[in-house]
Amino acid sequence: MSGGPVRPVGSAVDAETRAARPPALPSRFGWTDFVVMPVFLGLVLLVLWQWISHQDLDPIERVTLAWPNVRRRIVEHIQLTALSTVLVLIIAIPLGILLTRRQARRFAPFALALANVGQATPAIGLLVLLTLWLGVGVKVAIIGAVAYAVLPVLSNTIAGLEDVDRQLVEAARGIGMSMPGVLFKVEFPLAVPLVLAGVRNALVLNVGTATLATFVNAGGLGDIIQDGILLQRTVVLIVGSVLTVVLALTVDWLASLAEQGLRPRGLRNGG
Amino acid sequence: MSFWDYVSSRREQLWIETWMHASAVFQCMVIATLIGVVVAIATYRSALASRIAIGTTATVLTIPSFALLGLLIPMLGLGVAPTVVALVLYALLPIVRNAIVGLAGVDPQLVDAARGIGMNRVMILLRIELPLAWPALLTGIRVSTQMIMGIAAIAAYVSGPGLGNEIFTGLARLGSANAINAAWAGTLGVVVLALLFDAAYALLGRLTVPRGIRG
Repeated sequence: MSGGPVRPVGSAVDAETRAARPPALPSRFGWTDFVVMPVFLGLVLLVLWQWISHQDLDPIERVTLAWPNVRRRIVEHIQLTALSTVLVLIIAIPLGILLTRRQARRFAPFALALANVGQATPAIGLLVLLTLWLGVGVKVAIIGAVAYAVLPVLSNTIAGLEDVDRQLVEAARGIGMSMPGVLFKVEFPLAVPLVLAGVRNALVLNVGTATLATFVNAGGLGDIIQDGILLQRTVVLIVGSVLTVVLALTVDWLASLAEQGLRPRGLRNGG
Repeated sequence: MSFWDYVSSRREQLWIETWMHASAVFQCMVIATLIGVVVAIATYRSALASRIAIGTTATVLTIPSFALLGLLIPMLGLGVAPTVVALVLYALLPIVRNAIVGLAGVDPQLVDAARGIGMNRVMILLRIELPLAWPALLTGIRVSTQMIMGIAAIAAYVSGPGLGNEIFTGLARLGSANAINAAWAGTLGVVVLALLFDAAYALLGRLTVPRGIRG
């Protein structure tokens, strides 16, 4: 459980929810932010390990659960997640900045509408369609993950930049700052919390999509889960699922620490 | 075979799958809304309790759906049961969070005034707080529905019902003539359903949001 202010969910951030002010919760680091999740995940892994070592594994299970195979899947999963997240950020954040500039602002509603439709698109459908088009492999898994995550992060960035108080921008212009100066010294720092939330969002989405990479022969921990289902080996299924859950929660936990740690000082309290 | 030929030749099967998909999502949303509102009512008055409720549901949302389904299969077997449990769990976060935010955002003076004219706790909740929290809650329900539409497609892999079956049929017949048609039918079907649900919620919002707080 991470700290941070409680925000209502809603990509479009409807006026209704925006009006409803969240209860003010402390958003500084507490010691629980550092301790609870790692201890919990450590315990889960310990229990899993104990449970496995007391199981009588048959040859198939032994092969699937051999450490080199498991390690390979974990590494693949992390690589898929990291690479697709970096690509998402490289595309979404500059595009978000661009779409909030005066010259291009009229395209922003279009991008937001597209993002809403994109949210309704099932990740697995997207992945399968890409596979039918481009063939199987890691590249397709990454393209699919990026296509799936880019729109939510983009709409977050746009919302963050548009939320910046216009008066602050005008004041900055008034004291003689250039447009790029206003962007980098005023608008961007103020939008950092939402962009960081977008980063976390992208990471979580991509960890999930990477689980589906197994369907396009791109490896990852989903492979172990699929093996468990196809070979009807409950032990394999449970190990694959638990490892995926632990990895996803670890990634989210690290992202939540970054989200709080990288927030500009003036915005630390109350968001 | 063109896409439209495919759709018309499988009209009945596609119709059943679409119906199953919509009905699974709708029923899971009803369950999730009931649970979510009860959790929100139980926790919104305490900052700690609401933080725990939101944290727990947020943690669930972080879990990749394929892994959650994988964990549910040993307990519940394949088919409808793990699908329903997974969809309800995923739908909870937006509902719980928005219901708590909505309830906590009600002006304390209004509650005071209600108590002043002799309303008891239950009446205040039913006639003041819930109606005022309803727009936020409805937004949560919309977000949840969009999300579990897509997750329901993955559930087809564990023999769940719905349009995901078309997508996985497409995957299984990689290279055959109808693979692309099946995958398109499944994917587009989910998108269209999601948009229809969203339109229905927008209409519901128009009809049910109390006049006094309408934007």
